[in-house]
Amino acid sequence: MTSLEDKFEESKRLGLQIVKESEEDRLMTLSIGPQHPGSGHFRFTIKVDGDYIVYCDPDPGYVHRGEEKMSEYRNFIQNIPHLERPVIHDSTNITYAYSLAVEELVGIEVPRRGQYIRAIASELNRQVYTLYWLAIYGIFLGHSTMFMWPTGDRELFIDLLEALTGARVTHAFNIPGGVRNDTPDGFKDRCIRQVRYFEKRLKEYEDIFYNNPLFRQRTEQVGVLTKEDAIKLGVAGSVLRASGIPYDIRKAEPYDIYNEIDFKVQYMKTGDSFARSYVPFLDMKESCHIIEQLLDKMPQSGEVRAKLQPNPKGPPGEAYRRVESGRGALGYHIISDGTPKPYRVKISVGSFRNMLALPFLLVGQKLADMPSVYWSLNYWPVEADR
Amino acid sequence: MATYTKNFRFGEFVGSLIWLILWILIIIALVGLPLIFIVLFYVPLPPVNGQVLTPYLFLTMTVDPSRTLPIIKYMIHTDLFRITTFPGFTYAALIAAVTIFIERKFLAKMQLRVGPLYAGKIEGILQLIADGLKLIAKEIIVPSGADKPLFWAAPIAFVAAAAAVVALIPAAPTWVAANVDVGLLAVFAILGFFPLIALLFSWASNSKYPFIGGLRALHQMIAFEIPFILSALSVVILSGTLNLTGIVNSQITSYWFIFFAPISAFVFYISSLAELERIPFDLPEAESEIVAGWLTETSGMIYGLLQLGSYVKTYALAALFVILFLGGWAGPAVMPVELIPGYTGVQIYNHTTADAILWFTLKVFGVIMLMLLPRGISPRIRIDILLHTGWYKLIVLAFINIFVALALIYGGILGPGGLLVR
Amino acid sequence: MSSNNNKEEPKKPAAAPPAKPSTTKTTAPAKPATPAAAKPPAPAAPKPAAAAPPPKKEPEPPAFEKGLVDEIKKKFGDSIKTVFIRPLRIKIQVEPRDITEVATFLRDSMGFDHAESVTGTDYPKDGQIEVTYHLGSYSRDDLGAQVLSLTTRTNRDDARLPTLINVYKSVEYHERETFEMLGVYFDGHPRNERFLLPEDWADIPPLRKDFRIKGR
Repeated sequence: MTSLEDKFEESKRLGLQIVKESEEDRLMTLSIGPQHPGSGHFRFTIKVDGDYIVYCDPDPGYVHRGEEKMSEYRNFIQNIPHLERPVIHDSTNITYAYSLAVEELVGIEVPRRGQYIRAIASELNRQVYTLYWLAIYGIFLGHSTMFMWPTGDRELFIDLLEALTGARVTHAFNIPGGVRNDTPDGFKDRCIRQVRYFEKRLKEYEDIFYNNPLFRQRTEQVGVLTKEDAIKLGVAGSVLRASGIPYDIRKAEPYDIYNEIDFKVQYMKTGDSFARSYVPFLDMKESCHIIEQLLDKMPQSGEVRAKLQPNPKGPPGEAYRRVESGRGALGYHIISDGTPKPYRVKISVGSFRNMLALPFLLVGQKLADMPSVYWSLNYWPVEADR
Repeated sequence: MATYTKNFRFGEFVGSLIWLILWILIIIALVGLPLIFIVLFYVPLPPVNGQVLTPYLFLTMTVDPSRTLPIIKYMIHTDLFRITTFPGFTYAALIAAVTIFIERKFLAKMQLRVGPLYAGKIEGILQLIADGLKLIAKEIIVPSGADKPLFWAAPIAFVAAAAAVVALIPAAPTWVAANVDVGLLAVFAILGFFPLIALLFSWASNSKYPFIGGLRALHQMIAFEIPFILSALSVVILSGTLNLTGIVNSQITSYWFIFFAPISAFVFYISSLAELERIPFDLPEAESEIVAGWLTETSGMIYGLLQLGSYVKTYALAALFVILFLGGWAGPAVMPVELIPGYTGVQIYNHTTADAILWFTLKVFGVIMLMLLPRGISPRIRIDILLHTGWYKLIVLAFINIFVALALIYGGILGPGGLLVR
Repeated sequence: MSSNNNKEEPKKPAAAPPAKPSTTKTTAPAKPATPAAAKPPAPAAPKPAAAAPPPKKEPEPPAFEKGLVDEIKKKFGDSIKTVFIRPLRIKIQVEPRDITEVATFLRDSMGFDHAESVTGTDYPKDGQIEVTYHLGSYSRDDLGAQVLSLTTRTNRDDARLPTLINVYKSVEYHERETFEMLGVYFDGHPRNERFLLPEDWADIPPLRKDFRIKGR
């Protein structure tokens, strides 16, 4: 009558409704999302044992729109406005890869000035995305100032893009053959002025956020993704660079005029949440230099768009082109059967690849580390769902 | 555009108004006046001009308004006034309301925003009223499976506990609702209720996130209550009393205790942030982790009451900081000696009390600003770091200052007949 | 803190112009047009650059990429069918039964250490579904820009393929997506289940060509 087993047997003999506690009973299942302030349009189920996460299962698809299927019903030009919907904060980059792939299929050469404007727009848009991402990272960690500042400074680049493209968020600016329109008057000066101001602001971000001891305590040595695991999981973008692999499509496979630009691939070696949150910040800094270089080297005049047929089509074939978006490599695999509509469009996005790292990293973490690990993966639920 | 209804008759409209007025008069005559008289017969009334104030005399104040002054003077010295108005609940709630407004504007300025702007023309000064009205108008949703009595009782208990702390806080000499000898101990005893209320409420909500939040609140209390009390202990050693008025008086006769116990003041400040569940210690309500913590299932006025309670608590702890370390109401005399020069009637204005209230309120707002500041500059802390901070660092720091205080007392520097005692 | 993986630099100018491959487009879906495309490779194989269809304007395949293909071919011989070799892009096709072996070889000996994406394409005319693994390399600097498309085809009516999850961990969600979007069952994959589509989805896999969007 001493051991728990005996007591249990005894209670059963007496007819008591006592149930043994199993391993599962200690776990609490929490559904993070889709109506959780820390999830986005995304759900993952976690199980916690005390304060530790022991199980995680992502369940995307809440904003799945079937972009790939929709693309098969529209011709190459009509596809542009809806293909930027998956990530409207980075809409120039997501249409950039598409335009490159279609240009390869149809066989168009983009004028040099068009290439430069494209690169400028995509760098500006990457800033917009990264600032938005950083704002959410701030509020995820309870730092409300870090939510407000980037959200406000985002306007700098949104205004620039509005002047450039005419739209504030969904630009539909990159089209096969170049860009939709030329830069407005005085764009260069305005752009340089605002980028310089933004570089000053970046120092303040570093002071209030990245050098904050509480922030460091919360993110350093949390959710460490080693170099080997990063390669094995095939993560992309800042997550990869934070794990010590200096891989950037702009450097590894320079598209358009990126081989004429002098810049460094920013990376860190630790692979923890801090590195994953700091690498995009370094990217923003580097991106400011890139924008200034691009503005300097841009040809003063010239065409910005190659002439296209109303309904462009190329010979049957396929193309796979990648660009570096705010969330890492973004590739379009387009198969054409010779008609003006693509036969198959596959969008390979960084978010979808980084999602695989989420259960890998979350298991074993504390519940309080969930936001800092999750959002440091640079995961954009809408883009992953496509 | 206002339009008349189809069957509108102006005569009927006037008639309805007259009926309304008539009914009001009838009710006042038949119910109101007798009620006033009944009350006035039972309430002990103060003597006015040498004779006891009878209800008939009371009614003559309609002829001579200056006769109300002795009544006001009498009323503001009753316990009821102290509990409900000053320095009790209304004063605290007013400060809480101003705190909310200041917090929003202050935070907005730090974050390069404008904050509330539209309600009430001037800088959104009526935003709080608008928010309050909205909360009152909202439906209160009780989750299915909730423990209903607890669910309803917890918000009221929360506000009541906050008000109970306020009742112990003196805002000026002799102005305290409950002047007890163990004032400081009573404050800590009542503060110990809050995590329990949070835990009960989270349990009653029948939901997972509130439950985790309630457990976190409990952890936080256990980790921070001890340094909280220890940091106040050095003040008790320095002043030799637990009575809050006595603590202030001993600072008036020497110097503010923050000069002798700065480490304790720091520990007290940090611990009160944790006690208030303010950023960076808002783990029980950590939004991105556990939705809204133990407040997840609150809605409408239940949420409003909990917010009111937490801001009243903010006032209480800021006032406690002022009393323990910043000399309470001590300060130079700035108010005029007489409000109306040459007035010789009944005095209800006392310039020393006015000075005390002014300095006390100013200091309280200074401390409240200090408590609001971390929200703009700091992220949320993690629970293991929080526990580590509480158990390993703050307790040790608090002990250091206790020894300093003991040395000051036994060295004859402070205490009865000390060097620095005036 | 930052570095310049400038090993890519010299190769880049040759690869960068995007217009160059535009003339070469003939191979990929032209070949699928012949049914049971997996069978005939044996006679046509010796010449790598897809000699079966006769487009003569095929430019000389770049040397580095051709070297990679030759290395694979040396190991597996005729079971590898080269679909095209272009600057930075290689596409090879294998039989489903060989794919695990080829993928293991690519990972261990060639340095293609991760899969970027898995694409399924429905070819109702052939009665086949083509599944393409886009393989890339992070660990070898000279392969950083290369994307090797490892392709295999399966029968459309009973679409089953061996999973590559044991070779490339990174294909887990991609294969799951391919399963639900094209109905390709991956043998050995632990979770051939619903991923992106709604839980109550009760239609054929949507990326198959016989699934039509309403109103289109």
